[in-house]
Amino acid sequence: MNKKKPQAAWSFSSRAPAAMPPPLAAHWAAKGLRGEDVRLVLPTDLNRDLLRCENYVIVTGDEVVLVSGSVGRTAREGTSRRPGRQSERKFEELSWDVLPLSELEEWKVEELLSSARVTARKTDGSYELIANLTNSAKDAAYTAAKYFNQLKKDGAIQIPEEKDEKEHDELFCPKCGTRYADPARKVCPKCLNRKKLLARTGVFLLKYKWKVAAVLLTLVLTSGLSILAPYVSSGFYYDEVLDTAGAFYGQLLLVLGIIIGTRLLSLLFGMINAIVSSTVAADMVYDLKKVIFSSIERLSIRFFTSRQTGGLMTQVNRDATTIYWFFCDGVPYFLINIVQVIAIGIIMLVMNPVLTLLALVTVPLVLFIIKNLFSRMDSLHNRRYTRSRKMNAVLSDVLDGVRVVKAFSKEKEEVTRFGRASEAVAEAEKKASRFSTVAFPSLDFLLYISNLVILGVGGWMVIDGKMSYGMLLTFIAYMHMVYSPMFAFVDMTYWAADSMNAMSRLVEIMDAKSDVEEKPDAVRPETIEGRIEFRDVVFGYEKNRRVIDGVSFSIEPGRAIGIVGHTGAGKSTLANLLIRLYDVDEGEILLDGVNVRELSFDTLRENIAIVSQETYLFMGTILENIKYARPDATDEEVIEAAKIAGAHDFIVKLPDAYATQIGNGYKDLSGGERQRVSIARAILRNPKILILDEATAAMDTETERKIQAALEKLIVGRTTIMIAHRLSTLRDVDKLIVIENGKMPEFGTHAELIAQKGIYYKLYRLQLDAMKNIGIEG
Amino acid sequence: MNEKHTTLGDVAAIFYLTPDNAEIGEKNLFLTLKLTTTDENGAPTVKEYDRIFLHRAFPFEHPESFISVQDAEKNEIGMIAELSVFPPETAERLRAELARKYYAPALTAIKQLKERYGYAYCTAMTAQGEVHFTMRDVSRNLFRIDENRLLLTDIDGNRYEIPDLHALDRKSYRQIELYL
Repeated sequence: MNKKKPQAAWSFSSRAPAAMPPPLAAHWAAKGLRGEDVRLVLPTDLNRDLLRCENYVIVTGDEVVLVSGSVGRTAREGTSRRPGRQSERKFEELSWDVLPLSELEEWKVEELLSSARVTARKTDGSYELIANLTNSAKDAAYTAAKYFNQLKKDGAIQIPEEKDEKEHDELFCPKCGTRYADPARKVCPKCLNRKKLLARTGVFLLKYKWKVAAVLLTLVLTSGLSILAPYVSSGFYYDEVLDTAGAFYGQLLLVLGIIIGTRLLSLLFGMINAIVSSTVAADMVYDLKKVIFSSIERLSIRFFTSRQTGGLMTQVNRDATTIYWFFCDGVPYFLINIVQVIAIGIIMLVMNPVLTLLALVTVPLVLFIIKNLFSRMDSLHNRRYTRSRKMNAVLSDVLDGVRVVKAFSKEKEEVTRFGRASEAVAEAEKKASRFSTVAFPSLDFLLYISNLVILGVGGWMVIDGKMSYGMLLTFIAYMHMVYSPMFAFVDMTYWAADSMNAMSRLVEIMDAKSDVEEKPDAVRPETIEGRIEFRDVVFGYEKNRRVIDGVSFSIEPGRAIGIVGHTGAGKSTLANLLIRLYDVDEGEILLDGVNVRELSFDTLRENIAIVSQETYLFMGTILENIKYARPDATDEEVIEAAKIAGAHDFIVKLPDAYATQIGNGYKDLSGGERQRVSIARAILRNPKILILDEATAAMDTETERKIQAALEKLIVGRTTIMIAHRLSTLRDVDKLIVIENGKMPEFGTHAELIAQKGIYYKLYRLQLDAMKNIGIEG
Repeated sequence: MNEKHTTLGDVAAIFYLTPDNAEIGEKNLFLTLKLTTTDENGAPTVKEYDRIFLHRAFPFEHPESFISVQDAEKNEIGMIAELSVFPPETAERLRAELARKYYAPALTAIKQLKERYGYAYCTAMTAQGEVHFTMRDVSRNLFRIDENRLLLTDIDGNRYEIPDLHALDRKSYRQIELYL
């Protein structure tokens, strides 16, 4: 979808799809540079001395202008940041250098560690620095370099549509323009809408609204009864039953009956509450986990590589529980306690305002102390937690590497290392428990003092006849009921923050868009011939690092092609791109002339099978693992596939043959055996296109030869891509591609590449010499 | 240019033993095999094995088919697609050999299954009477063949089978349920 645009000023920015800022345009015009002459503008952020300022590289029809300076604010403008005011700014120039365009041949972006620079090769072979820039402007620089080189080559720039906008969206919050702290996790801390978050996650509760209502109702009833209880067992009992003047004097049994009754009732409500809320809990946690897991599975590989898988698993498990807790335990508990505290406060005020004020005087103090205690307690617990995590890390590290430890007889050192970690845990543990044994009884004592005050003043009131004995007892009982929720309130703030985090992660995962998506109207051709074509493919796992840089080749159906190159040159990446584990950044990949983006995932994955270096076998039997590729395969087909992959022979030597359990603590297969099983898996798929990515690397030469021989028969009529660094593996391919640093410098048959005397020739000689050294003539 | 795809079967070329090419006999309680194959020129060659070993490729799903026939070095000579392709007498002989190899008494009841320090001590009933065995890490040594069938492996590698879990009496089921 290339569309030729009129030659106008193009500027490339990673921040905004901005045209050049007006003051700059004015400045340039003053310098005699006309807007319509400008072909390309590259804004950069470092000047020649690596100072941060605004720089522009302006390419016109016949020259390249390097401008350095800054767009300053005029006095009138004040603090306004609205873009509309920009017109009032003025460009202050620091330098203005002009290079003739004809002298420059090619721009190149050279990546340094945290910065980059654009250099130009001149016609005389020397180099000229065009611009310095930070990594933030690197993308823009790459794009600009591409267009510059295009301009030099073709005399014009062709810009495909729909560019810049997307990029801006990705790095910055669309609402407030703040840059995301973690670009992989697009949550702007500023704009995180708590209410919306609650609403989104609260939806999960709606399914259980009646049960949740029951939970709430029983909570209300229990707390109502608990408010009633002190009155019955203290005030009412002493004043109305024990006192001769009381209305129910002497009716002990009645009161005991009431007390037992209320107790039983509150017990009953408590039980109902526990039963209902535990079923809701289990169901809701199940729901949440399912949502989280299915959302995660939907996402592309990139999502997983940008996060730790272990972290993801704990996230699924912990977040579900935390969110449940928040809605079903935390919120109701909090509400009930607030209502209870207020209700009791009012009752106390009615009973005796003076005593109430006395009792509440200490509340702020107590709250303050509790808050401090908790945060101190929290940090102590945190320390214990991190230290014990460290200790576990040491432990699993040593146990995993026990062979190495033994081989170097480092047992003693490891014991000391573990000892240190363990001691640190013990130390933290001691501190935490020492603190809690001192702090909490002290707090109790403080409460006890205010208790004493009430007891003293209240006792004086009783003696004075201003208050009945029963009243005093009731009052004291209520006072305790006000104090106890306070601990919960303070703790609640920590819990709530935790839950908010979990909820935002949940919503984030639910909303996360897979960056490799199937088109809604994806094409599903009935048969695939297997013609593959790569056109100027550019790709990088990270934004600014190109792993594949302009690779083009094509494979006719049924042909085999070999990809050669050093480790890390990008060979496997090509395979990943073909099956759309990732999408290309630029260029396109065609399958039978159709862009792979247009094809359905089913089409791609049914017709392409890949055997990669990573041979992951799932927990289960060997049969299940092979059948994973095609569950409807017959057992005979499984045996056949295994036979071709050279796996059958070792499998039938296992006691349980194909029913042997593998993975996670069961039968351990060797690297070569695992590879053979996964080759069988790919073969069973019976695909039109077979990708063998170092498939036989972990095998001995004899086994490899055998499998090769079988594969050669199998690949007849199938398009095959073989990736290997052992050239002998690629003896029989039709053509070879040499990949180096993401580029494809050589392409041709074995004979052609040997004749070229390039990289392939060098590799070939090296491996041949190695053979000769051990006495085998090539 | 689109050549016909080779099928998996063509490439794999599994060699099946049939009554036509294999004569299975018995000598001193061991199975013997007289194998007649033809080379490329069609000339028959006869190879005799005085001991062969049978190995089920799918010991649970297909006890009577896909039997790998191996020589003394455990190298596969060929496969038997189905026992019943052989005459009844031979098939019976093979069956007996398989039964010997895959010896796993069926447990009819579990009287006791007690776990102590990572080892489980089991007392169970078989058709031949009571057996006692010890298992290490029960859940790992208990293989669920399907919904109803269960295979237990004891510390010495002996195997016991529970052919139908749900046919067990309640008490037996309770003992084992914990590990399912």
